[in-house]
Amino acid sequence: MSPLLRSFARAAFVLAACSPPLAAHAQGIEQGREIFVRKDKGNCSACHQVPSDPEVASRATVGPALAGLRDRMPDRAALREMLFDPMRRNPEGIMPPFGRHEILQASEIERVIDYLHAIR
Amino acid sequence: MRSAESLAGALLALALCAAGPSHAGAEAVRQEAIARLKLQMPQVPVASYGLGAAAFDLAQGEVADGAATAIVEEGRRLWQKKFRNGKSLGSCFPNGGRRIAGTFPQFDARLKKVVTLETAINQCLLLNKEPPFDPADARTMGAALAWLRAQSDGMKIAVRVASPAAEQRFESGRELFFMRTGQQNLACASCHLKSAGRVYGDSAILPAVGLAAQWPAIRGGQPVTITGRIRDCLVRMGAAPVNFSAEDFAHVEFFLAYLSNGYPVRANVSRGD
Repeated sequence: MSPLLRSFARAAFVLAACSPPLAAHAQGIEQGREIFVRKDKGNCSACHQVPSDPEVASRATVGPALAGLRDRMPDRAALREMLFDPMRRNPEGIMPPFGRHEILQASEIERVIDYLHAIR
Repeated sequence: MRSAESLAGALLALALCAAGPSHAGAEAVRQEAIARLKLQMPQVPVASYGLGAAAFDLAQGEVADGAATAIVEEGRRLWQKKFRNGKSLGSCFPNGGRRIAGTFPQFDARLKKVVTLETAINQCLLLNKEPPFDPADARTMGAALAWLRAQSDGMKIAVRVASPAAEQRFESGRELFFMRTGQQNLACASCHLKSAGRVYGDSAILPAVGLAAQWPAIRGGQPVTITGRIRDCLVRMGAAPVNFSAEDFAHVEFFLAYLSNGYPVRANVSRGD
């Protein structure tokens, strides 16, 4: 096997190994976006703009515009807790308790976190 | 003589205590709401709170269509329709219902309850042995209210909270307005006070002050009454089945109408959505 062919095969292997998780992650982000915008699900875009995502058209100003959330809240557990019951952090806040009131299932909250962490 | 003067003074003080704080309570709540909204929406003049969405964005304001005219005409027909005893809805209201909407809801000391225009219409029907209108029916109650409120267009709202009993109902309305409910865990105040002027979806959130000036609104060709609007909000909050009694709705309307004192009645403004 020539060195060039060997390199190609290695690269193909790495790509093959990586591609299922990458595809799953991309799918998670996509599902998270859908939950983010659906009125019967998170309906997050009714309150938040996502300036970097042209797929989320929103003029909303009830909550802060979302950008760079991964830098500000890198810990998934903290983000999960906030989505589950934001009143724990801020009893006067108006964000719905997506987990505590069963607006979203645990798996749906995970997908929303995937999406929020993908926002630049 | 001195003891008689002291007694008279004490009685006067007691009387003032009994009457004074009740009215001052409602007015203090109104002034506090205005002060909060002024800070929150410095770009919106207080005088324009009663303009609804048009106060924030003219593009969200009124839409010209023929629906309002047809609804008001249907309301006029219902208003003038003779009961089996020869009377009509107009017979139950001073001046046939003209220039009265700005004074409703009213606390009726005899009935010991808040009387809204809706309840007054149904009281009139029952009194005349006619079947009451379904408060949620746009074709009857909606149309009758569209006509009735149109007769008071431009009249400044002047709702009175003038007794301890009325104050108690106002307070009940205030508590319901601030009560978190439903799956979304929101209160009316979460949006119409805390987030007033901000954009939810594509629409500006209207402030609690002035909110009771513009109704019915014509949406999708149908009249939406203030009760209907509150019900819609509760459904959006995920409070289904709606956990407000008819009395609760009346108390919230009483609270909102008092907060809208001084704003002119604007009935049947057409909205695009």
